Amino acid sequence: MIVPGMGKEGQLRLINSRVLIIGAGGLGCPAAQYVAGAGVGTIGIVDGDVVETSNLHRQVGHATSRIGMKKVDSLITHLRGLNPLPTYIPHPFHLTPQNAADIISQYDLVMDCTDNPATRYLISDICVLLCKPLVSAASVQKSGQLIVLNCPPTPQGALDGKHAPCYRCCFRKPPPPSSMVSCGEAGIMGPVVGMMGVAQAGEAIKILASALHIPPDDSASPPPERNLHQPTLLIYTYDLDSAVGPYSFRALKMGGRKKNCFACGENSTLTLEGIKAGNPNYEQFCSVPTARCTLPPEGRITAAAYHAARERGELTEHILIDTRDSEHFSFGSIEGAVNVPFGKLLMKAAAIKRDGTPASEVLPPGLGEADAPIFVVCRRGLDSQETVEKLKELGLDHGGERRIMDIAGGMKAWKEEVDPSFPYI
Amino acid sequence: MSWAALPGIRNRYFNILYFASAGSYTSKNVEALPAPLPLKKLFATLEERYKGIRASVLDHSLVTINLTYVDMPDDEGGDGEAEDVVIQEGDEVAIIPPVSSG
Repeated sequence: MIVPGMGKEGQLRLINSRVLIIGAGGLGCPAAQYVAGAGVGTIGIVDGDVVETSNLHRQVGHATSRIGMKKVDSLITHLRGLNPLPTYIPHPFHLTPQNAADIISQYDLVMDCTDNPATRYLISDICVLLCKPLVSAASVQKSGQLIVLNCPPTPQGALDGKHAPCYRCCFRKPPPPSSMVSCGEAGIMGPVVGMMGVAQAGEAIKILASALHIPPDDSASPPPERNLHQPTLLIYTYDLDSAVGPYSFRALKMGGRKKNCFACGENSTLTLEGIKAGNPNYEQFCSVPTARCTLPPEGRITAAAYHAARERGELTEHILIDTRDSEHFSFGSIEGAVNVPFGKLLMKAAAIKRDGTPASEVLPPGLGEADAPIFVVCRRGLDSQETVEKLKELGLDHGGERRIMDIAGGMKAWKEEVDPSFPYI
Repeated sequence: MSWAALPGIRNRYFNILYFASAGSYTSKNVEALPAPLPLKKLFATLEERYKGIRASVLDHSLVTINLTYVDMPDDEGGDGEAEDVVIQEGDEVAIIPPVSSG
């Protein structure tokens, strides 16, 4: 790998570097391939999961023949095939507040390839406290993000001059759990997450080869001249809606370390001991209570009971609303179901409240005004409950005379209780 | 709506881009809103158009104007400067929620 700016010195720094890749999934697999190919001397990989078939379209370090194997072992098998020379260190468990500092302290640079916000905040906090640079990427559906954090690393609370931000400086609050979905759940385009993982490896190699990971105050090995750039958040958007629509990269200039940042700012009370003892509580921080309702039992029916009632002919006159996205609906649905995607339904409901459109227009023509009972089904049984509440709020229950019921557990339950052949994807 | 349909700079408007969950919430990638608009009124303006977007999306998103991060005026991290920022005609504003999956 000889290019301008990367000669023997840079290569030697890579050989002497230790990189930790947290997450051996859609980001971690492509990232690890290029890190291993670049000749990084020691590569640690953290992941507690095992390989599943549904991973393979994007998690390119695994293989059909290794389904059921620990992802860490599967990925290392793949990497050894590419480059047998690095030392590979498996950490075949999830990163936790208890083990995070012990693991991260053994490495020079951390790559966040995880899939949940609680771990993202944990990794960033530990990297601040241990002065480790962090290359963080994330991806869902058709978009991805990449940012280099805490690089060059500076001690917690240092605020003189310009210092690099941490994850909390950029994203102070996690999104509500209802809006967070894992890749398996929300879906992900393989090339999108792959692109982010590869870009992540590029940043890691650059940092290590140019010794940016060595804290500035480390006088034992004076770092080379630094050519520092403003922290940048790279956003990649891939457009499926239009055949000619371009992909889009946007490089956004970010601010530096925030004075009042919970983790790296002045007066921060964050410590390694505290984290180990459960303070802050990452799980709690990332699962703030949501507005999502749970209907009383009389407003719900199990998938099995709904099916049985249909079979007995008790439900000849009824309306079945399926609130999944049209893409999911297109793979299969319960006979007679009408597709009203949840997002569109919420938008219509908001419009009705705003400008007084008749409430019945929230449903396709004819269904809103009718008297027949309404059943609502979704993917897993959350959106459908909210839909039931919304329809009642809009008065479609005719003051309680018309039944509006939720099919508990959604199409997932339908597959489990009624039709095992249903393509729940 | 696709990026190809990105509106040109219209008089008295700014473009606002919705990334990730902001795009799903609004069912749009981009739209044009009337300018000028004080930055501190941005979230209220969007909440009026998309009920509930503040709690579900905006409160944890970061905001950029012309590809540069801005502190929202109600941010504790704000140093007061953001109070006076006004989004101008032709500006490009982006709403960027964190993405956590991978």
